[in-house]
Amino acid sequence: MQALTTDTDGGVVDALLEQTARFCAREVDARAIDAAAQIPSAVLEGLGALGLFGVTLPEAHGGAGLSLADACRVVEVLARFDRSVAVSVGLHLGLGTRGLVRYGTPAQHARWLPALASGACVAAFSTTEPGAGSDLSALRTTATEDGERLRVSGEKSYVTNGAFAGLFTVAVSTPGLGGAQRGQSLLLVEPTDAGFAVQREEHKLGLKGSSTTGLLFDDATLPRDRLLGEPGQGARMLQHILSWGRTLMSAGCCGGAAFAIDKALAHTAQRTQFGRPLAALDVVQERLARLRARHFAMEALVMATAAQADDDALATHSLAAKVFCSEGAGFVADEALQLHGALGFIEDTGLALVVRDVRVTRIFEGANDVLLTHLGQSELLRLATKPVDAGAPALDRALADFARALHDTHRLRIFRAPRLLHALGAATQWVMASRAATARAHHTMQPTHLALAQLVEQEARSAVSRAAAVTADAAVFQQALGLERLGVTP
Amino acid sequence: MTTDIDARVIHLIAQLVPVKEKDIKPEQRLRDDLGMDSVSSMELLSMLAEDFELDVGIEDVADVHTVAATIELVKVFLAKKAA
Ligand SMILES: Cc1cc2nc3c(=O)[nH]c(=O)nc-3n(C[C@H](O)[C@H](O)[C@H](O)COP(=O)(O)OP(=O)(O)OC[C@H]3O[C@@H](n4cnc5c(N)ncnc54)[C@H](O)[C@@H]3O)c2cc1C
Repeated sequence: MQALTTDTDGGVVDALLEQTARFCAREVDARAIDAAAQIPSAVLEGLGALGLFGVTLPEAHGGAGLSLADACRVVEVLARFDRSVAVSVGLHLGLGTRGLVRYGTPAQHARWLPALASGACVAAFSTTEPGAGSDLSALRTTATEDGERLRVSGEKSYVTNGAFAGLFTVAVSTPGLGGAQRGQSLLLVEPTDAGFAVQREEHKLGLKGSSTTGLLFDDATLPRDRLLGEPGQGARMLQHILSWGRTLMSAGCCGGAAFAIDKALAHTAQRTQFGRPLAALDVVQERLARLRARHFAMEALVMATAAQADDDALATHSLAAKVFCSEGAGFVADEALQLHGALGFIEDTGLALVVRDVRVTRIFEGANDVLLTHLGQSELLRLATKPVDAGAPALDRALADFARALHDTHRLRIFRAPRLLHALGAATQWVMASRAATARAHHTMQPTHLALAQLVEQEARSAVSRAAAVTADAAVFQQALGLERLGVTP
Repeated sequence: MTTDIDARVIHLIAQLVPVKEKDIKPEQRLRDDLGMDSVSSMELLSMLAEDFELDVGIEDVADVHTVAATIELVKVFLAKKAA
């Protein structure tokens, strides 16, 4: 499988990717990492020596100052070898350090960036709490002013890199701070801060080498200069940070999918049944081609996303990329396993691990179900301000017709009908992916790429038709569930 | 002069933004001053349309960026409804 490409100084990045791939082939043993539920420190140190922890950090502080797109390429390569490693590095480059790089003061940069760039200090990021997962407005962990210090109390859950991070960017509720009555703020927290403790490691279905812990703030005290960015403006900063995180996570999905497809292609080419290789059967060829098409679109959408300079456009694209790539990687991994038959189910083949590792990508960095609703909302707004004209591609017009029909029926009430917005979001991610795949194919004009883009467009058209069949009537679902018996009021 | 409509609109805005009701002023921008994003401002307009029983479409609200413009929108649609 080919890899993600960018326009930046190709030479430097290509050399880095080559070194990374060579290092991973030599040192990264995905099955051993899975079995030990830990990445060996020699691997993390080796990645640090390659400069991978500093890829997106400013050159002035020891980083390489490369773009989000370049960082995506790095994460994609790592994910071909092991998803836990890719997540640990990807989280550091995205959610872990993006806030500090973008919103930090010169003093904060000078204090933390050099160690973060070398990998001596690994970054983590924490919003989720026991009572605040998808609903980030429900944060209970609270920081209040106490003279020149901040007092923080509360509990955080599922923090990637938690066990070994040297710096945590933590979202907390800060009522009144910065004039915002119900505002949130971001704090920079070190493991040695008084009253702060990292909790035990979680046992997971997959991604076992990636550390996942809780955090406890038991009346912790932090100096005021640990506030990151403007107090009370946490929600806005989070949007940007999460856009980066989701894009990098999507790149990891491309790497996992590439590994699975390579395996499926190799296996079906050599496995003989009915007197010929499996890949000689047209039914298998169609499946392999659809896997490649999905992967081609995933990569195209990630690159299109990483190229967005405007914050709002990046946010919308990253929603689509996150959902499309996590679902795509799950689909590809499952299909590749299926094409291996019993071998796929055996751990030695390596696909069982990919299937387990990829599952969480539909949940973390925002559950896909929630993100699709947001994407549907954004698409309605986009179409309201930029209507699609009659000369637009048929797929764009089909999506616009669907959105228009929803709006004409429900008017502004549509913004409070998540099920309908979700359906629109589901169609939108496919249309955005198809657009990106078509642009990519038209850029290279390679016959294979044009054929792959054509397959993606066909699937996108079906996705729009399926989504447009959504019914407005929720009563049948409520009746089927017997909500009263569950004690839930609709 | 503030009217009942102004107060009702501001009350609804206060449900969605991290700013105290008494600190919400007509000249404030929904996005830059009150921290709303495009989606939450649509949610607000949807709540207003429901609360005041107005038939408002997305195209009617594309230029509504301030508290004053929100109040004005409600007034215009109430007048339309009454006509
Ligand atoms: C391995 C791992 C690593 C993680 N790393 C981090 C990290 O580093 N930092 C961090 O802050 N968090 C992290 N998380 C937490 C993760 O981001 C949350 O789990 C995720 O946002 C979902 O929240 P929740 O688990 O509370 O699910 P809930 O909010 O309880 O939702 C459960 C399910 O309900 C459905 N649902 C909920 N709301 C809606 C809605 N509005 N519309 C439609 N469906 C809905 C969805 O299917 C969702 O999956 C991690 C989680 C895991 C498992």
